[in-house]
Amino acid sequence: MTDPRTIRIVIVDDHHMFRTGVRAELTSLAASAGAASFQLEIVGEAGAVESAVTAITEQQPDVVLLDVHLPGGDGHGGADVIRACAAVQSRAGVPVRFLALSVSDAAEDVIAVIRAGARGYVTKTISAEDLLTAIGRVADGDAVFSPRLAGFVLDAFGAAAGEVAEIDEELDRLSAREREVMRLIARGYQYKEVAKELFISVKTVETHVSSVLRKLQLSSRHELTAWAMGRRLL
Amino acid sequence: MVARAARVGEDGTVQTAYENGTGPVRPAWRATPRPPLVRHRQGKVVAGVAAGLAAHLGVPVNAVRIALVVSSIPFGAGLAVYVFLWATMREVGDVDPAMAAAASPGIDPVTGAPVPGAAATTGAAGWAGAATGPATIGGHQIDLASVRTWLRSGNQAVLITLFGVAALALAGALWLGSAGLDVHAEVILPIVAIVIGAIFFWSQLDDTDAIGARRPVRWIWLVVGLGLTILGLVGLLVRGTNLTELWQVAGAVLAALVGVAVLSAPWVLRLWSNLRLEQAARIRATERADIAAHLHDSVLQTLALIQRQSADAATVARLARAQERQLRSYLYDEDARAGSLGAALTAAMGEVEDLHGVPVELVVTGDRPMDMHLDALVKAVREATWNAVRHASPPVSTYVEVGPDAVEAFVRDHGSGFDLDTVPDDRAGVRESIIGRMERHGGTARIRRRPDGTEVELRLPVGEPPQGDPTATPTATPAPSPSANATPSVPSTPDPKTQEQAS
Repeated sequence: MTDPRTIRIVIVDDHHMFRTGVRAELTSLAASAGAASFQLEIVGEAGAVESAVTAITEQQPDVVLLDVHLPGGDGHGGADVIRACAAVQSRAGVPVRFLALSVSDAAEDVIAVIRAGARGYVTKTISAEDLLTAIGRVADGDAVFSPRLAGFVLDAFGAAAGEVAEIDEELDRLSAREREVMRLIARGYQYKEVAKELFISVKTVETHVSSVLRKLQLSSRHELTAWAMGRRLL
Repeated sequence: MVARAARVGEDGTVQTAYENGTGPVRPAWRATPRPPLVRHRQGKVVAGVAAGLAAHLGVPVNAVRIALVVSSIPFGAGLAVYVFLWATMREVGDVDPAMAAAASPGIDPVTGAPVPGAAATTGAAGWAGAATGPATIGGHQIDLASVRTWLRSGNQAVLITLFGVAALALAGALWLGSAGLDVHAEVILPIVAIVIGAIFFWSQLDDTDAIGARRPVRWIWLVVGLGLTILGLVGLLVRGTNLTELWQVAGAVLAALVGVAVLSAPWVLRLWSNLRLEQAARIRATERADIAAHLHDSVLQTLALIQRQSADAATVARLARAQERQLRSYLYDEDARAGSLGAALTAAMGEVEDLHGVPVELVVTGDRPMDMHLDALVKAVREATWNAVRHASPPVSTYVEVGPDAVEAFVRDHGSGFDLDTVPDDRAGVRESIIGRMERHGGTARIRRRPDGTEVELRLPVGEPPQGDPTATPTATPAPSPSANATPSVPSTPDPKTQEQAS
């Protein structure tokens, strides 16, 4: 525990009961010794797009736990919050990171918030321990991929069908290594297990995952578009 | 064919009588309910009038047909009754193109029945051909292929009716003539033209009034029908006198028709818009009722169960999880993927969760229609997952990847794992249900023991999925549809700007 840093978070969810539940869980878990390598401070809560933007701008948190479906804004829920707060920086001087948290693991919700700029996506059924780990990871600027999100990425990039990029910089396809990482995450491997399996460091795994996230946000890949349109997202 | 038509008619009729509550008020002494006088889309030969009438009266459909044909011969009375009933009887039942297609080959021998009168009189065929030939040829640019598709599209019923009408009229005229009565060809021909025109016109009515299965109106039929009717009216009024009179009468008829159209147009339009509003309201009400019924059957029941068992945390969690899965499949319309590998896996994992209450994280990429070998794979995956939830600790992850030449499945747990040697009870289960099953279907199975859990890897080589299957991969289905959006659907050159704006 050489790193006694404090991660300040804001919880945005339109269900008051859920906010209370998450707050209670995270507070008790973060207080218990050795559960995490950081202190957690919940500095704000909001239940709608406008109040969320106000709270985030005022508090300048490190991480925002963001519900996908929110009232207000332009009707895009969490994605509106991310866009409105794109320029806001945390007190440490880095951009505010968003971890999307939703009751739905439907593809339309995933793609909408990830493309808006969220650093990760987890479902609300996630355990408190995993949520805490995810918060730490997002605060460090890394991406958090659930198995479901990894499966979606493989599907959307045609990686399951064997399409692999020749060079890493290609936006529309995953590199062979990224594909391997995604497959292992889809198989339920934690980052450190992925690293062990592929004989690479955890840091390298995180780099690959961040690179996949960037491709997901920037790619104009046809399948991604068609996929989203088939679900009436675009 | 006849038997089938009658049977379908009776079954369906009884059902609709209960469904709609439109059955006629029946006297107390009547033991059996009398079905309502309706026409059925299924099992009809021409318009379903005879079958509907037979079902209503409780007599054989052939008797009705013969009665109609015989009574048509003197003055076309049966025909008039038929046309009147066609126009007034409500049509019920689903529009099912497959059903219509399946029924059509059987039509010919049956509808041959009204025609013998025509076949007996030698001149009839030629005359009928002359009468209907120009009408159709005038309307269409005819080549052989289009005629064939046209005939297959269910139009032959109308065509057969036309032939029947013409033949009957001719037979009736000849019969009257031979009986020594004066045959007024100038009266009969226009009437026949009017009837044929009306049939053309009304045949379109049958196609368009079906909500939800609306076929496009074939305007050419409407035009031909209208033209024939006007021609018949004019002919009837002129009765074969000179040309100048013909023009005058034609003008008068047209003027009258236009007048009627102008007067009735606003009224018809208002009726139409009212009908549309009412339809929309009814559809909304039906949807709402469907959703309410679903929630009542699923969510409310589960909530009641949860309240009763609130002391048992494990049961509550299991119930909630099962209900969540069911609701998800309802919300995201997973019925659409029925028969696919993804749906089968979801169902199998659901069973495992329900039996043991341990959540299983299932991820499937790609999809393909089920077959025998994939069924074996699903069973093996189920067995492996079952082992994992029993002997290991959560989280249990199942990942299935559908590739172009193989389907791979991984079942991973985080417990001490099951070992072929340390779990003797399950040795047969693992060996037989997983490894043996995979090998019998040309696949492979591998069990890896890791320090932090066990992983079962299954691999099944597959060929190309059948083309054009509706249960193809969900990612592939939207692609070919030409998008109404600005986004180009050209695979190689997607426009980044459009994409960015759109998202």
